[in-house]
Amino acid sequence: MIGKKTPGTAFGERAGYARFQRLQKATIFVLLAVLCGYAAVQSPTFLSWTNIVDNLFTNASALAVIAVGMTLVMIGGGFDLSVASNTAVCSVVLVLVMDGLSYLGSVPAISVALASAAVVGTGLGAVNGFLVAYVGVNPFVVTLSTMLIFRGLALILTDGGQALQVADIGLRRQFSWFYDAQLAPFGAGHTVSLPIVIFIAVFVAAVYLLRYTRFGHYVYAVGGNEQAAWLAGVNTKRVKAATYTLCGFTCSVAAVIFLAMTATAQAESHAGKELEVIAAVIVGGTPLGGGSGSLFATLTGVLLLRVIDNLLTQFSVGTEYRNVITGLIIAVVVTADVIAKRRRS
Amino acid sequence: MRRITKRFGATAALEAVDFDVRAGEVHALVGENGAGKSTLMNVLAGRFADYGGSITFAGKPVRMTCPRQARLLGIRVIHQDRSVIGNFTVAENIILGDEPAGRWTGRLNRKAIAAAARAVIDRIGFDLNCDEVVGGLGTARQTLVEIAAALHRNAKLLVFDEPTASLGSDDVERLFRVIRDLRRKGLGIVYISHRLAELPRIADRVTVLRDGRVAGTRPMKSFAIAQLSEMMLGRRLGEMFGARKNRPGEIVLQVRDLSGPGISRPVSFDLREGEIMGIAGLVGSGRTEIARALFGAVNAGGSVSMAGRTLPWRRPHLCRRAGIGMIPENRKSQGIISGRPLAENLNIAILERLSGRLGFLRRNTLLSSAASTAGRMCIQPPEPLANIDMFSGGNQQKAVLGRWLAANPSVLILDEPTQGIDVGTKNQIYGLIAELAESGCAVILISSEFIELARLCNRVLVLRAGRLKQQLSADGITAESLFEACLR
Repeated sequence: MIGKKTPGTAFGERAGYARFQRLQKATIFVLLAVLCGYAAVQSPTFLSWTNIVDNLFTNASALAVIAVGMTLVMIGGGFDLSVASNTAVCSVVLVLVMDGLSYLGSVPAISVALASAAVVGTGLGAVNGFLVAYVGVNPFVVTLSTMLIFRGLALILTDGGQALQVADIGLRRQFSWFYDAQLAPFGAGHTVSLPIVIFIAVFVAAVYLLRYTRFGHYVYAVGGNEQAAWLAGVNTKRVKAATYTLCGFTCSVAAVIFLAMTATAQAESHAGKELEVIAAVIVGGTPLGGGSGSLFATLTGVLLLRVIDNLLTQFSVGTEYRNVITGLIIAVVVTADVIAKRRRS
Repeated sequence: MRRITKRFGATAALEAVDFDVRAGEVHALVGENGAGKSTLMNVLAGRFADYGGSITFAGKPVRMTCPRQARLLGIRVIHQDRSVIGNFTVAENIILGDEPAGRWTGRLNRKAIAAAARAVIDRIGFDLNCDEVVGGLGTARQTLVEIAAALHRNAKLLVFDEPTASLGSDDVERLFRVIRDLRRKGLGIVYISHRLAELPRIADRVTVLRDGRVAGTRPMKSFAIAQLSEMMLGRRLGEMFGARKNRPGEIVLQVRDLSGPGISRPVSFDLREGEIMGIAGLVGSGRTEIARALFGAVNAGGSVSMAGRTLPWRRPHLCRRAGIGMIPENRKSQGIISGRPLAENLNIAILERLSGRLGFLRRNTLLSSAASTAGRMCIQPPEPLANIDMFSGGNQQKAVLGRWLAANPSVLILDEPTQGIDVGTKNQIYGLIAELAESGCAVILISSEFIELARLCNRVLVLRAGRLKQQLSADGITAESLFEACLR
């Protein structure tokens, strides 16, 4: 949006809605702050650098990268269920390519593997984009089926689901660099891991794209009113297809982080993560219909879910309650959004 | 544009229409609702790729395939349905599609967007704030945003599709000044409007469309407004119909202080057994809104009593049980149940009667009931199991009507029951409505076709801008009087 939004004093109801909307945006920040405060009081280690940066941020970075791609898709009015499967395929491709090229030495093998994963992830995203935008199939149906297809692809590539170990290729130490590498911009005691740096790079690039480029502007336009954008001469199909393609690329980046962390590529890994990503984006305030939303809000959503998870771990709460609590938070946030919309109309 | 033809399914919206605009003239396009004005302009705007005929623009033949192409040629359409993006600011909406951006980085130049938008607004002198979010503006100002968006790039041909329908008189004056200014600069302008009174002030030539054909093109000066309306309504004015035979009886429906979205002032009226009451008004005057509020399709205020008993709650299913039926305005999206057989479409409102005690349905009962309704409605072909989408628009409409006739309602609301169907089927539907009234059912008929109202109604309520303005009864109802009452 250009400039500052003028306070809607001239429109009584609108002002109320704007206030409500701001409140809703603030709610999630406040919720995050309260939870962090509570955690800090309960456990002195919570606010330590190790817990915040290593446990929280580093662990969240892979999913946060996918959440960036998902936010693009969802602002454009779609959504993507196939991200976790796409990530699994990318992990498998990484290991297979490294295995095939390991005789060339570690650097060429890893570089080619990274490039192949990027091509595969982006390509699979483009398939979604093509089907949704150009063929016109509903995004739920498209990505539900590609979710299954990509998962199957990963199984085929691993001969029915064998776990592929990076250690078996002899590149374990070299590849794990993507996870273990530490930068120390704030002094020796305060290191920042490479996954965080990768996430920041993706995040900044995406923020630039959404906020400052014509493409990002059109993503909002397509999500806001596709018909109007089309009539204004915007190539709406290309814009939509591009969001899915970029989302596919973020899956390949996440695959690198995951693989470096676990050193194992498994066809069945990450199952169910697509819902966690979508949940984070929705909690962040991007509506299912698209047209609004922001990456910063998504980041807050990711962190909120992570902090809750972190807290529940600290208090050794069982998985069953975690699901209930996470579900409740999503329900409350989305309900607030629905009520806000109804009040507007 | 030569011999332009456009079909929607089986119905022809445009039939060999010739239309041209010269540089530096305002060419008005008039006609009743559904005459094909908007469709013709949508063809020009590249909204439909599948049209017949040929278009020549600035001396070169062109084939319109998408809106972007029309835009690049310099054709801009201000559409009737508001096409703005609610979350965007005024400036962003005005510049949408032409954003200045860095060649390599794709970086948006927000300052340039704001400046370009401000320049347009200053040029036309509209009262708009660039930074305001469009979703918060009223409809009138959203229209201004659209007009500004169309003017922002130097277009060669501008189409205004009912621009004044939601504007106040100040803004209309401003718009006229802008249009005259543009004409002086040599632009071609197409001006579509229902407000015939404003045409002499702005138009150079007029083309009248009727039922998808050109009824005539002439210089504006040679027309009196009465002549225009006659031309719009056509010779059908002359074809008079048999006298109304229905006799209104006891009051069956009492509506008091009905309010709701789109109704500016609460409406009250009574309806008698066997009476046909019309509701006339332009699109957006609140006709459909009254029907929906009455039927409980929206949250609405006021009270509705059937035969002296007030309905405590109004929702479509409760109204159906109380004996009220409604045929909605949009057959495709609200009327037929697409993709399902004719039988299901015919039986949907009477399943309670057709089902056994535990809610089981018997195939034979369903089929025989559907077959009898189809026969009564003369639906062609009378095949209960055929998919509803296979039927023509007229037969689909008969199916929707039949659905309610089967339910034997004591009050039936018909919202544009003859829109987009051919003359033969129209006459059949008129016959059915008359028959229905004679059998004692009270009918509310909403229509844009004044002849239809004049032919059938015992009484007509006239709406303007969400208010009940006038009531015409029996002998006072003619197409001309309605026309005048609605447009004044």
